[in-house]
Amino acid sequence: MSSSNAKDGEFQDPLENYDPPKFDDPIERALHEETVLAIQSQPCTRVSADSTVAEVLKTLVGEGIACVLVEAGGKLVGVVSDRDILDKVALEYEAVQDKPVRDIMTPDPVYVDENQSAASALAVMAVSGYRHVPVVDVDENIVGIISPQRVTKFLRNCMDQQ
Amino acid sequence: MGLFEDMNKETVSRLELRPVVVIQDGGTVRDVVLQLREANLGCAISLDGDGKPRGMFTEAMLRALVARDPAEIDTPIESHLAKTFPWVKTSDPIETVLAAMEAKNVRFVVVVDDDGKVVGLTGQKGLMEYVAEHFPGEVLVQRVGTKPYPEEREGA
Repeated sequence: MSSSNAKDGEFQDPLENYDPPKFDDPIERALHEETVLAIQSQPCTRVSADSTVAEVLKTLVGEGIACVLVEAGGKLVGVVSDRDILDKVALEYEAVQDKPVRDIMTPDPVYVDENQSAASALAVMAVSGYRHVPVVDVDENIVGIISPQRVTKFLRNCMDQQ
Repeated sequence: MGLFEDMNKETVSRLELRPVVVIQDGGTVRDVVLQLREANLGCAISLDGDGKPRGMFTEAMLRALVARDPAEIDTPIESHLAKTFPWVKTSDPIETVLAAMEAKNVRFVVVVDDDGKVVGLTGQKGLMEYVAEHFPGEVLVQRVGTKPYPEEREGA
């Protein structure tokens, strides 16, 4: 259906009556208005899918991190986290230490696009239960990773702005 | 009230707590790993006779242990427990969970009642669920999956 203005050939902004939500609460405002990039996502550690389990474990411990991104051909193919170590490595170390990490990683991780809202990263954590959420760009290249500590810092920063 | 105010006014008892994996006396690290696998949790707690927490073992500690010497898997868990760990009371504001996670840079926080007895576990997941619950319009419509868009057209 056309409006009378459209019939007259004049442009009518379809969003002219749109009233964007307003937030008094600093956390709600940040979650709605900021993108995922407002949450720290760097540095992030990447390993090749061909790296051995022993090498990746050494990386996790050496860097004091709980999760690494696994890439193949420049694309994200999986993650290895403390959960994977607990579930697939801790009791089987002798058998898996020399195997490629692709054998024990969590494949096809749930990720967020860098342009999505900050809330989307929290949604993945709350709904899917993942603690580490990779961030990718529009071409699905790795941008970074959001960790629990980084979300905590983001929430604290929002609260401090009050 | 907004989320900021709620986090300072509502108490930890408002959070959906996770059950505690209790470390059995005399057990080994292997025993605890099996318990954690079954419970799908990353943290186990050792309790004293009164049900108060006396030690914690997390998957981060397991990671370091395996890297150091995988044979330690069959050593007594007692020698690997962290004696200091973050905890909050059910009557504390939810904001204290955030503060505890920040202070110790951890994901798990033990929750005790006013008598100091363990009633559950919270942390990153509990906090995220709480935030998501307070922000349904923005959070619940988010795509959850690895594919950003449907590969094939849905419907007509």
